Amino acid sequence: MADAGAYEKLELELRRGVVVLATLSQLRKPRYGYELRQALAEQGMPIEEGTLYPLLRRLEAQGALSSEWKIEDGPPRRYYSLNADGRKLLKKLTESWQGLNHAMKRLLTED
Amino acid sequence: MNANDVIDSYVTEVARQLPRRQRNDVAFELRALIDEGLQDRAEASGRAVDAALATEFLQAFGRPEDVAARYRPMLSVIDPADGRKFLRATVVGLAVLWFLGLLAALQQPLDSGDDFVRALAQWWVRTVIPSMWWPGVLVVGFGLAAWTRRRWPSTAVWKPRAPDRIHGGRFGMALALVGMLCGVYVLVDPRWLLDVVWEGRAAAVAYESLTYTDTFLQRQAPWLLGLLLLNIPFFLTVLAVGRWSATLRRIETGLSLLTSAALVWTILDGPVFKTEVSDTTAKVLAALIVAFTLMTFAIKAYRSVKPMPNPRLQAQR
Repeated sequence: MADAGAYEKLELELRRGVVVLATLSQLRKPRYGYELRQALAEQGMPIEEGTLYPLLRRLEAQGALSSEWKIEDGPPRRYYSLNADGRKLLKKLTESWQGLNHAMKRLLTED
Repeated sequence: MNANDVIDSYVTEVARQLPRRQRNDVAFELRALIDEGLQDRAEASGRAVDAALATEFLQAFGRPEDVAARYRPMLSVIDPADGRKFLRATVVGLAVLWFLGLLAALQQPLDSGDDFVRALAQWWVRTVIPSMWWPGVLVVGFGLAAWTRRRWPSTAVWKPRAPDRIHGGRFGMALALVGMLCGVYVLVDPRWLLDVVWEGRAAAVAYESLTYTDTFLQRQAPWLLGLLLLNIPFFLTVLAVGRWSATLRRIETGLSLLTSAALVWTILDGPVFKTEVSDTTAKVLAALIVAFTLMTFAIKAYRSVKPMPNPRLQAQR
């Protein structure tokens, strides 16, 4: 069997593949970085801060997210949410993920 | 340092590596996010926010260089697929340069340990340090190749290539044949070059330096000339056939090995030219030709592919 180091690397690659989709899925409503991280963690998808916060800026630069500074209960926070292009991207990636998921389910349940 | 100082230094290190237009905005956001995360961590672990906890938290966050890099699209100068090729070319190139430089440095008289150390110091200064141009050239070359592939992906599409094709095509081979004929003509009597360049008015010593010794003319010259002349009908045949067959490859290998053997004999035997300088130059050139030929064979053997199952795996079945 592959060693523990190999497992960790492969598991990390698997997770990397879904980080973007997981992030987009939680931005149908505006959220700021830390809030988003907690929302993802509560649903079983913890993402390191050092990965998540830069990802939000990259997705914004790619035109999938919009953001604005807001002051609600606390210090100023930058809130991110899907824009029209982001919603289309989420839809396409969701379909793609579901296709992959079905295929993997079939593959992994075969004798 | 207190926790604030630790966070400030981290945020500054990340932000400094970002483009100026987003630097301050990201720094402000990152600072707020770290503060909030750290506060929650302290509450969860029942500790006070201090420099030690902040350092621990930020170490888990990642190196500032890595975090800053994640804010921008990934940039790789050399394609990861080219990494091993680049490393191999760098190591082999440097090894050749250093070896040749060492040989040159050790040419001077070495009568004592001090002389040897001096020669090594010269080798370090004149060869090793200046040799860094080679990795630089490779970075530029591999970088340009990677950029071209990204800019014009169609240039990188794989195309089938016949293994028996003639490199450079028939035209290239015809040109090579003409060059070969000219080379043979010059080698038969190199003094002809002096007549062409100086119209027969070159100094007598120049003619003497390009005059073969009688020993060479009687011993190695007929063999070398014969082998060189054999190349002409051989390459004419390749040109006519239009491709390299297995037999033609075998003949080429045989001819190259025989020519190398004749050159080694020439190097080890008596002088080729009447003056020492031209004789040494000719032998160095001959040695380089032999080294190049043998190296080509070694590389071909190393790179050859013969599809077959791994015998060790077969034995395990």
